Amino acid sequence: MSTEPNPEPNPAMAPDGDPEVYYLNMGPQHPSMHGVLRLVLKMRGEEILEAEPVIGYAHRAHEKMAENRNYLMFLPNTSRVDYLSGMIYNIAYCQAIEKIMDIEVPERAEYIRIIACELNRISSHLLWFGTFLLDLGGITPFLYCFDDREEILDILDSVTGSRLTYSYGRFGGVTMDVDSAFVARTRAFLARMRDERLPKYRRLVGDNVIFRERCEGVGVITRDVAFRYGVTGPCLRSTGVAYDVRRAEPYSIYDRFEFKIPTRVEGDTMARFDLRIEEMEESCKIVEQAVDGLPEGPIMPAKPKKRYRPPAGEYYFAVESARGHFGTYIISDGTDVPVKLKLRTPSFSNLSSMPDVLRNTMVADTIAIVGSIDVVMPEIDR
Amino acid sequence: MSKPRAEAEHDSDEHETEKMSRILGSSVAELAESSEHADYAKYGYHHVYLANIESIPEITRHFFDAGYLLEMVTCQDRRDDAGTMRLVYTFNHLAHLDRHLVHADVAADAEAPSITSLYQAADWFEREVYDMYGVRFSGHPNLKRILLPEDADFYALRKDFGRIEDAPQES
Repeated sequence: MSTEPNPEPNPAMAPDGDPEVYYLNMGPQHPSMHGVLRLVLKMRGEEILEAEPVIGYAHRAHEKMAENRNYLMFLPNTSRVDYLSGMIYNIAYCQAIEKIMDIEVPERAEYIRIIACELNRISSHLLWFGTFLLDLGGITPFLYCFDDREEILDILDSVTGSRLTYSYGRFGGVTMDVDSAFVARTRAFLARMRDERLPKYRRLVGDNVIFRERCEGVGVITRDVAFRYGVTGPCLRSTGVAYDVRRAEPYSIYDRFEFKIPTRVEGDTMARFDLRIEEMEESCKIVEQAVDGLPEGPIMPAKPKKRYRPPAGEYYFAVESARGHFGTYIISDGTDVPVKLKLRTPSFSNLSSMPDVLRNTMVADTIAIVGSIDVVMPEIDR
Repeated sequence: MSKPRAEAEHDSDEHETEKMSRILGSSVAELAESSEHADYAKYGYHHVYLANIESIPEITRHFFDAGYLLEMVTCQDRRDDAGTMRLVYTFNHLAHLDRHLVHADVAADAEAPSITSLYQAADWFEREVYDMYGVRFSGHPNLKRILLPEDADFYALRKDFGRIEDAPQES
């Protein structure tokens, strides 16, 4: 195999003869960088002239692995793509295969999936909240968030056996049934979250003058930038576009639940913070409705298939992950191994907008801006 | 302390956008070599086109002007069956669901026109296609590897790369 030697460097980053211009390298092992993200900043003084995110440090070749194994064997990979909202990715892959192969999912399994996915969304937002505040220098909120998040992990652990990398979904249902203890614990968590914790977070953090000063008007993503870069999720909704795959392209049984798609128009870091807090509330609402409506019955089809051979063709299936539009694109040739499986992950496109968003900002705001995007590097690098 | 911040405005009239999508579909179909409707309930998209690689920028312009989002660009190695690489573009409208899949075949050593001048999202997508399949894009501002090491001498998602176990080991 032969290719060209090293590629040309990014022309936007080239020195332009200004003696004041210098370069700053952030990451991939910087303590306040998120995972293994590296940012190369071209600066004059404290102003960022150009920024170039460098990714790929956590590339694990998931799409290549998919071509090397049958559909069932790829299941454990899915939650490792984004280990912070792994349940959503795991269930999304199951839902894609079910849609292609016309596999009917029992009602109870659908409800359990909704509960698990929305709990996972809350835990993902909680982790973002905690680490984002940590980035800005606030240690205390982190301890509260992780207390809440730990409760979710325990609830999900009790039924899936895993804390993060769930392999809970199966084609047609879920592996384990939930019991009354699961339901009681979930209800208790919801009550604490809605009555005590979320109002406290709004008061403790959202109303904090120092916090607001650091976030308001900082890192504005305009609607135009979001559109051209394919930004989705809370980052897109912070620009006033009410796009949420759960509503725009309803899958599973999301059309049965009442919930709002919160939006803001400012597009700044503060808007993204407000949005995620509000989204946790909406997820609580969905979980509550699903727990109330949880029907009795089987959690798997009566006769699960032994082999899965999707009919030849190509398929696209999208869900709303905690970070935005997650698409699974599958090309099948009728065998039990995919010809191609592409994972369209939201953070990839969200992060790609950073050169535009960071241009002409101050270096001190970089951490706030990049933190507010909520990137998960393994999900970008796949 | 925290004052209520402005609410988002509502999206434009749904009827209008649907009409727009029909006009768009027919003008893209004219540019493409073939076009088909697809059963969304089964395939997850509404239209699929096969286009000449040279007409991709013009087709993209139509979607861009109609306010469609570029969801992804990817590639399929079809050299064993058809002797070419197949680029896959998906476009979707955020206000009303209408997904279009555009295929374009290109020889593995040929250059495809870049669409980064319209959609900056294509910047990283095209870099990934180049990284994994070796398809080059003319007019891309910064075409270099993105996920694999800069000095890699292979294209990992090509079928003749083999299995992961066959990857070159560092000695």
